[in-house]
Amino acid sequence: MTKKDVSWKVQKMMELLPPKLSRQVVLSLVSCVHCGMCNEACHYVKSIPDDPKMTPSYKADQLRKIFKANHDWTGRVAPKWVGAKTPITEEDLEELKDIAFGTCTNCRRCTYNCPMGVDTATVNRVMRGLLTRVGVMPEGVWAVSKDSWEIGNQMGVLMEDYQETLEWISEELVDELGDEKAAIPIDKKNANIVYTVNPREVKYDPRTITNAAMIFYAAGEDWTMPSFGWDQTNFGLFSGDDVMGGNIYKHLEEKFKELSGNLLVISECGHGYRSTRCEGPNWSATPQDFRMESSVTTMLRYIKEGKIKVDKTKNTEKVTFHDSCNNARSCGLYEEPRELLELVTTDFQEMYPNRQENYCCTGGGGAMSMAEYTPRRLKSGKIKAEQLAATGAKIVVTSCHNCVDGLGDLIKHYKLDMEVKQLVDLVAEALVMEKPAEVPEEKPAEAATLAGYKILVVDDEPDMRTFLSTVFEDNGASVIEAADGEQALTLAKSEKPSLVTLDLSMPGKDGGEVYASIRQDPQLAKLPVCIVTGRPELRKLIYDRDVPRPEGYLDKPVSEKDILVNARKILDLSE
Amino acid sequence: MTMVEKKINNSKVRLVRGDITDIDVEAFIYDITADAKLGTGYGSAIMARGGKTVQEELDAIGTCPTGEAIITGAGKMKAKHIIHVNGPKFHEPDQEGKLRSAITAALKRAEENQIKQLAFPPIGTGFYQVDLQLCTRVLVDAVSEHLKGTTGLDEVLFVALDTREFKPFEAHIGQGG
Repeated sequence: MTKKDVSWKVQKMMELLPPKLSRQVVLSLVSCVHCGMCNEACHYVKSIPDDPKMTPSYKADQLRKIFKANHDWTGRVAPKWVGAKTPITEEDLEELKDIAFGTCTNCRRCTYNCPMGVDTATVNRVMRGLLTRVGVMPEGVWAVSKDSWEIGNQMGVLMEDYQETLEWISEELVDELGDEKAAIPIDKKNANIVYTVNPREVKYDPRTITNAAMIFYAAGEDWTMPSFGWDQTNFGLFSGDDVMGGNIYKHLEEKFKELSGNLLVISECGHGYRSTRCEGPNWSATPQDFRMESSVTTMLRYIKEGKIKVDKTKNTEKVTFHDSCNNARSCGLYEEPRELLELVTTDFQEMYPNRQENYCCTGGGGAMSMAEYTPRRLKSGKIKAEQLAATGAKIVVTSCHNCVDGLGDLIKHYKLDMEVKQLVDLVAEALVMEKPAEVPEEKPAEAATLAGYKILVVDDEPDMRTFLSTVFEDNGASVIEAADGEQALTLAKSEKPSLVTLDLSMPGKDGGEVYASIRQDPQLAKLPVCIVTGRPELRKLIYDRDVPRPEGYLDKPVSEKDILVNARKILDLSE
Repeated sequence: MTMVEKKINNSKVRLVRGDITDIDVEAFIYDITADAKLGTGYGSAIMARGGKTVQEELDAIGTCPTGEAIITGAGKMKAKHIIHVNGPKFHEPDQEGKLRSAITAALKRAEENQIKQLAFPPIGTGFYQVDLQLCTRVLVDAVSEHLKGTTGLDEVLFVALDTREFKPFEAHIGQGG
């Protein structure tokens, strides 16, 4: 075999592979022992058990073979033994395409169930990325990626159509609420919130934008939607193209900074949240130096802060909740949606398994755009359909648009008696509009006086301790500081503070252990705690424990306003 | 909005930011595939803004080989013509040669049709993975050389959708192109 016989596409793929071989990827390529644990985790295997090509290890083996043939000593020494093999023809690449795109939604359930820590979804994404870079991809991925690159959003929504939709929604809201202030502000500078959405909302489901606008109005929020860089979704996550992923993220970032917004809010979308909140800064190689959050967190905060009032008796049908793989498994957004559901519905029923063990909706990984694989996708949803039916719920709620479509397809295909809704729909339904909201007069932070309170600040980072202590002291509180978990517990007992702010990631006793010790100690059990963490994925340290939830939870970077509002609220409640 | 402007003999080169299918220009370049189908991205914008006549004209022509260019009307768009080029796709060999060939063919179609004002996007540098630095350099060089000779073109625009596309154009035009 000479180099001339190998397709130029294969040759290019081999050139593009080395930069993709991060430690995480190499670990996943070398450590699989083919034990089969991942089989039990995969919805494709569960629903199509007689096809060995559905197993996660088989899917990852496709890249593993190439890695061994080109980069691993075992492949040089005993290529046949370790299955080392490089594709040769374009037909070989077509076969790889069908495996990488057509038999895996990159949901990462197998990753959580692998005793060796193999991240099959990441390996599969690398394979997808190599294929798309040489033009080998399903037609739908081609179409959507081209729209993303050239129009700036993944559904090719033209600027005039986007603006027309927002104008139409604004007119309806103004009519319905009888207030000009209910209109959606576009490109407003210095707004508190810059709200970004999924183009599916603009094109097919503008009701979710209407509902969000109504909630912002009721909260008296100072908000805006950008005229460009408004698509928070990112097909780069699905196609494996990091360059595209980084570029789309930059559109959001640049527009947000141009508008001088304070907080970027991402509407309910699993892969959009993961791409924007977690992956975008890496893909674009830029530091994440501004604040962003999911609209789920925003809505929950509004209720907790009393900015909106809700009446849960407006949502009395039995609901269940489906964890989106990207929101939950990949970003740790497990508890906020549940807390919100409890506040706006009367009959919430968990589905089992749930949280990180939940089954895929079948619509993830860009699967909804790949029509050629639809029959297999629907077949793979059998386990999900059974899981949904067992809840007896009439509504399945999810915080992801791909899940909305994936679940909708399964409900139709398996003839289930339920419908899919998002949290924004239920919150809007439960909204109590007492009076036309007034546009917000920013309350000065100084209003939140903390005189007479003693606050224990626990954080291993000196800068963070100084920042929090200064904010509290400037507002009248007395502050004591602890740099680790042991010191925190000692001071909590001896100083009897009114509130503890607790970092999660600390050397020695971590925040989770400290929190559990506080809750389990009769002397400290009632002490209010506000978690302040820069690592949202660590929230399981708190929520996986069988102890009451903390009174407050904030993601770093945290603003002065956020910490004061939360401290005030917690202290008021504790009284 | 014009960001950078330069005079070459009697013609002008301008770098602007925007959506090339929505700017006020006599003719613009669209990077098409060999089957002469508009497809998605700028292709669906042409269909949405221009109507179905553009694809009908393309169907009558039938094909556009790599490195070649064909011309159609622009339907109901602001532009009057679209010059469709088939630039290099993905990482196929000889990117630079194919790119130069496509740009030369596009300029030839423009001159043949007495077009005075022509807009280029970076060709294939997004979805089709053509190297952005390479493309902007070749494009600015080729257009500059063309305008130094005998030409009916009064103005050539380079149109960047975002900052990523804008910056290398700006640098190459600044370097003298």
